[in-house]
Amino acid sequence: MSSSCCTTPAFEPPKAPPAPGSIRTIALIGPPNSGKSTLFNRLTGLRQKVANYPGVTVEQRMGVMAGIGRADLTLIDLPGVYSLSPYSEDARVSVEVLEGKMPGTPKPDAVLLVLDSLHLTRQLMLAAPVLALGLPTLILLNMTDLMESRGGEIDALQLARELGTPVAQISAVQGKGLEAVTLFLNQRTNAAKENQSLTLPVLGNAASTHKWAAQVSKRTGYRAPLSAENTRKLDNILLHRIWGPLLFLVVVIAVFEVVFALGQPLSDGFGNVLSDIGNFIAPFLPAGWIRSILIDGAWTGVSSVLVFLPQILLLFLFIGILEDSGYLARAALIADRVMRTTGLNGKAFIPLLSAYACAVPAIMATRTIENRRDRFATILVTPFMTCSARLPVYMLLIAAFIPAKYYFDGLIGLQTLVMIGLYFAGFIAAMTTAWMLKSSILKSSETPFILELPQYRMPTLRALGMRLVDRARVFLYQAGTIILCVTMALWVLAHIPPIHIGAGSWTAPELADSVIGKLGHFIEPAIAPLGFNWKIGIGLLSSVLAREVMVATMGTLYGADPATQSLHLQTALHHDMTLGGALALMIFFAFAMQCTSTMAIVRRETNSWRWPAAQFAYMLTLAWGAAFLVNHITMMLIH
Amino acid sequence: MQNTKEQSICESDQIGRILKSDYSGRSFWDVFFARPLGVRQLSLLSELQIGESGILVAIDLPMLVQNHLMHMGFVPDARVMAVRRAPAGDPTVYLVDGLEIALRSDTARSIRVRSLHESDNEAPSSTANASSDLVEAAR
Repeated sequence: MSSSCCTTPAFEPPKAPPAPGSIRTIALIGPPNSGKSTLFNRLTGLRQKVANYPGVTVEQRMGVMAGIGRADLTLIDLPGVYSLSPYSEDARVSVEVLEGKMPGTPKPDAVLLVLDSLHLTRQLMLAAPVLALGLPTLILLNMTDLMESRGGEIDALQLARELGTPVAQISAVQGKGLEAVTLFLNQRTNAAKENQSLTLPVLGNAASTHKWAAQVSKRTGYRAPLSAENTRKLDNILLHRIWGPLLFLVVVIAVFEVVFALGQPLSDGFGNVLSDIGNFIAPFLPAGWIRSILIDGAWTGVSSVLVFLPQILLLFLFIGILEDSGYLARAALIADRVMRTTGLNGKAFIPLLSAYACAVPAIMATRTIENRRDRFATILVTPFMTCSARLPVYMLLIAAFIPAKYYFDGLIGLQTLVMIGLYFAGFIAAMTTAWMLKSSILKSSETPFILELPQYRMPTLRALGMRLVDRARVFLYQAGTIILCVTMALWVLAHIPPIHIGAGSWTAPELADSVIGKLGHFIEPAIAPLGFNWKIGIGLLSSVLAREVMVATMGTLYGADPATQSLHLQTALHHDMTLGGALALMIFFAFAMQCTSTMAIVRRETNSWRWPAAQFAYMLTLAWGAAFLVNHITMMLIH
Repeated sequence: MQNTKEQSICESDQIGRILKSDYSGRSFWDVFFARPLGVRQLSLLSELQIGESGILVAIDLPMLVQNHLMHMGFVPDARVMAVRRAPAGDPTVYLVDGLEIALRSDTARSIRVRSLHESDNEAPSSTANASSDLVEAAR
């Protein structure tokens, strides 16, 4: 199953025969948010996700070091750890890989220890257990540029002498000082292992390790840089008792306004371009069923989803700014009070917020939650958060059925309000479900909330641009694979069985008599109370693959129906759908779990089919019930 | 209950507790209605006012949590400052080792600190010296 959101290419380790005693596998280790993944991307030329909060990387990732011309070497990026005695699931991954106990991952022969030089004293605590592993180690002091500009100081040579291992000062963001890695690898590959005479503190004892680290940093003339004043000043506003939450609300409303006000014209324009392309290509195709399947089936269906690319990218731009600036951790801080009433930890808010992009990486990000029961509860409620795959469905239905009214002198539109309402409904469902889970089957004693707040950083255009490019690629890939296949299959099913009209000529059946029509009418009784017609039913069935497939299915089905063929999809929907049905459909999408990738990842993370199965049944029941209520209430209000 | 006027400087009572009576920066409300401050030799991290610092004494939490906190900088003799409270008033952000870490008050209640004021009044850099002396002694 192709994942709806994160596609990781399968990793192939280099096949060259290993020279005895040489380095082939290198692990990147370091405390959380010290810039390991940024360095990984530099060294491998890959695009691992990076952001400015602790716990972005939650599992090991491998790549060859093509970025520095050493394609024969494998680099492993690991989740950040504070010590080698793991506290949470993601840290356990790092320790297991380092010890060579992780199946499928080779044991590293060398270690690159990445330390954030802004907080070196504390970060040096990790050096003790890592050096005690006895592997060749290069210590990389990252963010040197920031440290120096803020008046910090360190004698790297002295540090190397103290620790008996090479030390280099780098800046992974700017790509400075990376030649040290090349030098280290060349040297270590060729030179014999030297003996280190190094006195390390008693391992496992945090207090003695800290004392050791403090001594080392003192002897090496480390002067911590001044703490960033900007962060303090920004937090004075962003974490202000009144302004903080208010600003958050204003920003959220503004984002949705932008998605509508700016995204809608963009996507309309994009839609026109796409249909022009279809009209342009059509004459070149042989008339008959080939043209019909390609244009009426595939192109109509695929382009009805593709038009939403601008809006999705706008949303991702916003999420990217949130994550890269360092605000995400603050949001978790603000939300802790709300989360506590549900029994969850404020830390769970970070995966939940990133689920606004996609539930799949969000569910993996729950590995940073230390308590197993908290983690399971978070996994189970994450699909309620409105992921970007729901956006096309919402946009289509809202644009088609909600009038474009404006309130407060045009500040807030009714369409935006409905959209925010849907996001809010998902969030409320998540919180309520979490509360029910935490007060029944997943009850546990409260775990301490310990959250590191990173310093604010200006998101770079390059990083944001790369996020958008990656996202667009995933979206286009999905449109070209799953959605294309589904629409073609639907077209075929809508045109069989062919009817014999005599003398060897055949014609397609009425849509209602085709296989897909029969299937739709078969399931119609189950969804009729919700105000859905059979076409919606087929859409719901196909959307189990991925939610945005719904829109493509609608495009294909209404495109295959002669009555609505020439109409724009928004107008075509009015043909056989009521306002009640449309609202019910939106609520259904807000609550139902229609995503095989999410189910697969829940199965993987909980190690059992029971959880995703229960989750699917629960969410489906809730969605059906809510849609039923919405449909009937709307009908009562209208009549 | 101590008489507050007499003790304008810090001094020890008979059983060696340090009596603290520095009211600078405290509101009228605190002086009259809060718990008496006279016998505050040891206090809890959760009791630090915003902007106030303390020297960490001990963490009374399960070993795993304690270890984790220590690796984040909450080690004995570390200087911890309460920086700000979250808008809802609860998790409080503490500055330790140049890093901002948020803790809920029930976690902070399990962390004991000693007041910074005594050492500050006598010798500004005594805490730094004290900790490095400890380090020297440990070697």
